Amino acid sequence: MATKKVTYNEAVSEIEEILEKIESEELDVDELTEKVKRVSVLLKICKDKLLKTNEQVEQILKEMEE
Amino acid sequence: MQQKLTLFELSEWIKDALKSAIPATVWVVAEISELKENRNGHCYLELVEKKGNEIVARARATIWSYTYRILKPYFETTTGQYFSHGIKVLVQVSVEYHPAYGLSLNVKDIDPAYTVGDMALQRKEIIERLQNEGVFDMNKELNLPLVPQKIAVISSKTAAGFQDFMNQLEKNARGIKFYTHLFEAWMQGSEAVPSIISALDRIFEYEDFFDAVAIIRGGGATADLSSFDNYDLAFHITQFPLPVVTGIGHEKDDTIIDLVAHTRMKTPTAVAEFFISGAERFYEQLAGLEEETVRMTRETIDSQKEQLEEFAADLNQFVGGFINKKNRQLLKTGNHLHQQVNRFSFNKQYELNNLRHDLHGALSVWKVETKNRIDSRKRILKRVVHEALQKETSGMNQLKGRVNHGFERLLTKEQERLYRHENTVRLLNPENVLNRGYTLTLKAGKIVKSAALLGVNDEIETRFADGKIQSKITKKE
Repeated sequence: MATKKVTYNEAVSEIEEILEKIESEELDVDELTEKVKRVSVLLKICKDKLLKTNEQVEQILKEMEE
Repeated sequence: MQQKLTLFELSEWIKDALKSAIPATVWVVAEISELKENRNGHCYLELVEKKGNEIVARARATIWSYTYRILKPYFETTTGQYFSHGIKVLVQVSVEYHPAYGLSLNVKDIDPAYTVGDMALQRKEIIERLQNEGVFDMNKELNLPLVPQKIAVISSKTAAGFQDFMNQLEKNARGIKFYTHLFEAWMQGSEAVPSIISALDRIFEYEDFFDAVAIIRGGGATADLSSFDNYDLAFHITQFPLPVVTGIGHEKDDTIIDLVAHTRMKTPTAVAEFFISGAERFYEQLAGLEEETVRMTRETIDSQKEQLEEFAADLNQFVGGFINKKNRQLLKTGNHLHQQVNRFSFNKQYELNNLRHDLHGALSVWKVETKNRIDSRKRILKRVVHEALQKETSGMNQLKGRVNHGFERLLTKEQERLYRHENTVRLLNPENVLNRGYTLTLKAGKIVKSAALLGVNDEIETRFADGKIQSKITKKE
């Protein structure tokens, strides 16, 4: 999934962009729901990336040992 | 012939000459090019003086163990620099000449201030060179990722500082996951600079993978820091594409490596904390964003709900007003309609009465007229029938007269004819014929008119006017 490759910077700027939209009341309730869902997905991606072990990264590190 | 000397005699001569020519001790500036300690604690050195890269002077030197034991720590604590090769020193020496071992300098004392000054000068020169080359701030200008999570570590596996660093990272309170890989290097001594550069070169292959480089080393105040005031290493760091964080473990002035690094921390533990705090800050930023999203979403929903409720209230009022208005209109229309219907029905009733009246009048007229018409027709018909009847009756009477007349004539005529016929018939009657002497012959009840029909032995009946007889034919002619 493409969203897996979102960097922290991209995630944060996307979230901030969405927040700006929410604050400026540009969104109707349907869009709001959509955007809030997106924010929670992005937050989850970031938190997972922060706290959970990424096997791919571990694998690359292992390959360095050899 | 000149006087002949033995080598020893010459050597003694030189020794005496040196002794008288040179003071017992002199202060000499030199660079230590080699340094060895032997088992007895004596220190053997090679001192040189260079002009550029060329050695223009070289001399062996010794520091006897009882002096060395005092000089070395004194030097090292004062300068923060290992007493080793590669450094420039100001030493107080006595010039010794031994016939068997040649010239040698015996170090009596050392002035660390000179080395400190020289190092400072060197540092200054290196810094100026890096600045002139425009590279000094290059590593600092790199952006440290929001979360430096993948860290290439340059250290020595056995160094206490490395273990501190790793423990600190792993036991971070938030449980943030860090990925580290150790690129081993010598962190002190003459091998330090080339081995750290080689480690950087190895990390360079994974440039895209790592977020940052940590150069760490535990150690006390007496650490050998000269390696970190090295131009080549400093230059490598300025050119490195990843941000370099140093934790070299010293309290004194920053080394040049510290100065050119992206971030300078005092100890390996502090470097770990630096990374952790970066990640934690990000984690808190996420939490903040989450909170803000929730808050703003709630606010937006609340305000929209409020708006909706206002709309609903407005609508309620509007609809109520609308219904009332329509109700009133309806009542009015109803009343109006009632009136109209009444008026209409009254008018129609009136019209109907008129019509009825008219109809009645017309009907009476029509009735009279029709009756008159019928009567006149009746009269005409009666007359016509009467006339026809009279006509027919007179015709009939005429016809009757004619019929009667004809009939009487016909009757007379027929009576005459009948009378004639009666005579004829009377003349012709068989009985009369028989009476006149004619007979009738019958066979089996039937009249026989021809003799051909009779044969011999046939019985025949012969009728006479006064009776009949039976006879049998006996002969036929």
